[in-house]
Amino acid sequence: MNAPYRHRHPSPPLSESVAKVCSCRIRLRRARRSPLFPLLVLALAWPPGNIFAQASVEGYVALPKTHSAPVQIKRYEIVAKGGILSTNPPVAVVYLEGPFAPAARPQTESVAQKDMEFVPTLLPVQTGTRVEFPNLDDVYHNIFSYSPAKRFDLGRYRQDERPVPSVVFDVPGLVVLRCDIHEHMRGLILVLATPHFVLTDADGHYRLNGLPAGHYVLKAWLNSRTTLERSLDLQDGVVLRVDFP
Amino acid sequence: MLVVTTVTALLLFVTLLNMTANVRSDLQERFQNELASMHALQEVRHAALAERCRTLARKPRIHAALEDNALDLLYPSARDELRDVMESDQSPAQGVAAYAIHASYYRFLDRNGAVIIPPVIQDVGQLRPTEEAFLTLPSVPTGPQTGYLLRHPRTGGGAIDEVIAMPIISTERGEVIAALVLGFKLVDPTNTPADADIKSGIWTSGRLYLPSLSEAVRTSLTAPVARGVVASSLPEGSFTVQVDGAPCLLFYKLLNPGSLFPPAYEIGIYQLGGSLARQRRLIWEFAGIGCLLLGGAFAASRYLAKRLSVPVEKLAIDSEENRTQRNRAESALELTHEELQRSARFSADASHQLKTPVTVLRAGLEELLSGEKLTPGTREEIAALVHQTFRLTSVIEDLLLLSRLDAGRLKLVFSSVNVPPLIEAWLDDFGALPETTSLKVETDFPSTLLIEGEKRFISLILQNLLENARKYNCAGGRIRITAHPEGIWGILTVGNTGVPIPAAAQGHIFERFHRGAAGENIPGHGLGLNLARELARLHRGDLLLARSADNWTEFEVRFRLAAAAPVTTHDSP
Repeated sequence: MNAPYRHRHPSPPLSESVAKVCSCRIRLRRARRSPLFPLLVLALAWPPGNIFAQASVEGYVALPKTHSAPVQIKRYEIVAKGGILSTNPPVAVVYLEGPFAPAARPQTESVAQKDMEFVPTLLPVQTGTRVEFPNLDDVYHNIFSYSPAKRFDLGRYRQDERPVPSVVFDVPGLVVLRCDIHEHMRGLILVLATPHFVLTDADGHYRLNGLPAGHYVLKAWLNSRTTLERSLDLQDGVVLRVDFP
Repeated sequence: MLVVTTVTALLLFVTLLNMTANVRSDLQERFQNELASMHALQEVRHAALAERCRTLARKPRIHAALEDNALDLLYPSARDELRDVMESDQSPAQGVAAYAIHASYYRFLDRNGAVIIPPVIQDVGQLRPTEEAFLTLPSVPTGPQTGYLLRHPRTGGGAIDEVIAMPIISTERGEVIAALVLGFKLVDPTNTPADADIKSGIWTSGRLYLPSLSEAVRTSLTAPVARGVVASSLPEGSFTVQVDGAPCLLFYKLLNPGSLFPPAYEIGIYQLGGSLARQRRLIWEFAGIGCLLLGGAFAASRYLAKRLSVPVEKLAIDSEENRTQRNRAESALELTHEELQRSARFSADASHQLKTPVTVLRAGLEELLSGEKLTPGTREEIAALVHQTFRLTSVIEDLLLLSRLDAGRLKLVFSSVNVPPLIEAWLDDFGALPETTSLKVETDFPSTLLIEGEKRFISLILQNLLENARKYNCAGGRIRITAHPEGIWGILTVGNTGVPIPAAAQGHIFERFHRGAAGENIPGHGLGLNLARELARLHRGDLLLARSADNWTEFEVRFRLAAAAPVTTHDSP
């Protein structure tokens, strides 16, 4: 690849996200000064199921058949067929859609580049989550995305790049990760406006715990074009079974 | 000569035809070579550019912009990616090398083949609307396409750009989603000196790009080139055109076969003037050399023919003369032979016919002589008649021998013969003759002289010679006989006194029946010397008159000295 060497330069969307992350931290600092702060920490740290009688959903998502050999380690690659991006072996993301507030404390996730692949290849995150992109290879990577949900360009960087380049994903949608140096590399980040989401296992089984009661839409993301959905009413203490045939 | 002339002329003609064909094919080959050498560079460059385009078409950012619905980022991304491909405005003129690999402009085509309008025109290279329209293709190409864009055609011949369209194939869908079109300035195939033999240019979209020709000439060429190139619909070919009134060979070759862009032909115009003049000069040179050769060959052949024919003609004349002479000699010989045979036959017949009557006559006369009643006178006459019969017999025998000699029937049995005893025997007989008392005989010979021959004939020769020496002698004369060896010869001379043979008669004494005028009263019949010479020659010797003057006549006979062994010879078959 004879692409020119590019110094890291945060793209405008990245600057915005950094700004947002900064504003979150400011808010956190303000909270620490409040007398209710220890209680808040306790509430967040406590396992939710034990405090409140929350709803659960479990079920099965019918995953497309794959001809690949069974995967021993949990690692997926992105395949594109007819413009549809999915993982191989297939896996689905089941999430509960509803008017959930943004996370009070943004999460930080990680998508590493290892052996010229994104690990994990599919990462569901809640909006506002910061995702770090550590380079675990001995070569340069240049992670970027032109997806409408998030456009960013981390520039070229190596393993020893500090701080680890990261991006805050604040708009729901599917973000296709690419490497400008290694054209075959693909990764997916599914940005969801909900804190309630889970990846199915290789057989398609899933379970979502700690859900609030109410009327919601449960969705199963299968690939970049297919998202199945079910309306459901959740009741506290009830485990609902929802299958996506 | 006519054949040689015709063959030479034919050969010259064929050579000339061959040469003319060669000149044309040489020209074509030369053009192809020049074109090939020009194209070699072009092809390498084209391949490099195509590879570059292919690499660009795979760029992840460009793919991302197209596949992730970010068309607004397409040209900005491409600007980054193509920064080193595009010409740098800061260094606009680094010569040919600068734009050999640098693009002047680029555009993306959408999946329908239409140009995706760039947001900032300065980044992608400016084009006129018509030129930008040229980049639009009827559909997005599935493979690389090459086109030739004639820019600014109205100003000074304009410039020609090589346009390469490379499909962008989605890695996600496996289908062509767009195309990248790059325009490169052509490393000028037309960049040939104005006086070069070949002027190269490009014909595309009904326009001829050939800056080394003047505008007027280009305009005049447009129609014939359009007819020749487009009408033929062949990828390459050649035809003759008139440029400035001079004949030129125009070669053309399709540069972008199968392209979605309009077809473009490379045009090569070769001035035929020089080669035609060369050809004409060669023809004249050939004709001149041919004439000279023919003339030289003609002269040489004439000279040689003359030289060679002289001895042949001479030989023919000589041979004719020889044949005439031989014929004449042969006919004369034939005649002589026949006469000789006839004469010999006659002699033989006559001798035989005469011998019997003579014998009868002598017997009768001797019978009469023995009668008792004869008078002495009668008796004497009869005795004389008897003597005459002996003479007659002797003549007949000589004739018989001669006739056998003439007929070649005489067969000699050679042996070694000692001559002196023969002479002495004759001298004994000679002394008994009554009329020899007055003659004095001198001899001078060795006791032994062996010669080759048959004794009786040698004896006959000696007898004839000695008889003549006695007969033609004078009273109180002398006879001298000598014999001695000399070289291979045994020479024997018999000389006698007496009236010499007249000089006029000396040449005839060996002829048959010739008798000297002085010897009218001397008995003889003119056969002796002839017979002696014939016999001597039969013995491979000779008999000749040594001298006959001053009251002395001398004959010399020579025989071959005897060899060790006796030899038998035949006179003739």
